[in-house]
Amino acid sequence: MKIHYVTGVCALFVVAIHIIMRLIMPFSASLTYNNVIGNYHNIFYALLLEIILVLIAVHGFNGLRIILLELRQNRTWEKYVSYGTIIASIAIIAFGTRTIIFANGLEL
Amino acid sequence: MENAKKNMKFSTHSVSNENREGLKAWLNPFGYGWERVSYWLQRLTGVFLLIYFVGHVIETSSIIGGPDVWNSMLQLTQTPAGHLFLILVIGTSTFHSANGIRLIFTHLGKGLGEPGRPDYPYSPSSLNYRQKSGIWVALILAAFAMLFGVQVLFGKG
Repeated sequence: MKIHYVTGVCALFVVAIHIIMRLIMPFSASLTYNNVIGNYHNIFYALLLEIILVLIAVHGFNGLRIILLELRQNRTWEKYVSYGTIIASIAIIAFGTRTIIFANGLEL
Repeated sequence: MENAKKNMKFSTHSVSNENREGLKAWLNPFGYGWERVSYWLQRLTGVFLLIYFVGHVIETSSIIGGPDVWNSMLQLTQTPAGHLFLILVIGTSTFHSANGIRLIFTHLGKGLGEPGRPDYPYSPSSLNYRQKSGIWVALILAAFAMLFGVQVLFGKG
């Protein structure tokens, strides 16, 4: 459970910053294309988004794994649930990272 | 060593056969206290927030399509129904965080009380007012966060 608690507490702080960034100006104005793309172009904010992405993906899919392992216990189930949640975490991290890289304007 | 491995395999198999209630037992709301409600809500809010997170990552990827794609995505989400959904996200994430902090303390042994002799009416010392008040604090914080969400999303400005 250590990884679940550490990612949960860390996510609480970084998500708080992410929400504050939407509240330092009127909410609808903070969602305009120019403001959001401006956020992505800030390398520190882009790094913050990447950290949030990894923390929440690991916390969320590990939580789902815990729930599924509570429902049923046997070796095959545990193996498929563990591999499935790891693959899902990697997939969502890869997809989100792609958005952050392209929106930041970095050319790979 | 070989015998130990065989026994381990046998015992794992037995557990899987005995524990077949699965989702039915998980969803049974009867015969339990607030701790069960908290257990249930922690998992339901967790699954809901995971679905929201995946949707949010996919939704925000429209930023790389340019202003037109971004604005058409916003038109879908910046509606009264979209705002109500966001308020639900605010409430569930606040409950999940506050209750999660309570659970970390509980797992560390804080707030469980001293073990006592099992006398009638056999109320366990671990399920005490500290645990119950933690659950109530989480629910009240979630309600306040949702009110703040209403003010931000439906208020002027």
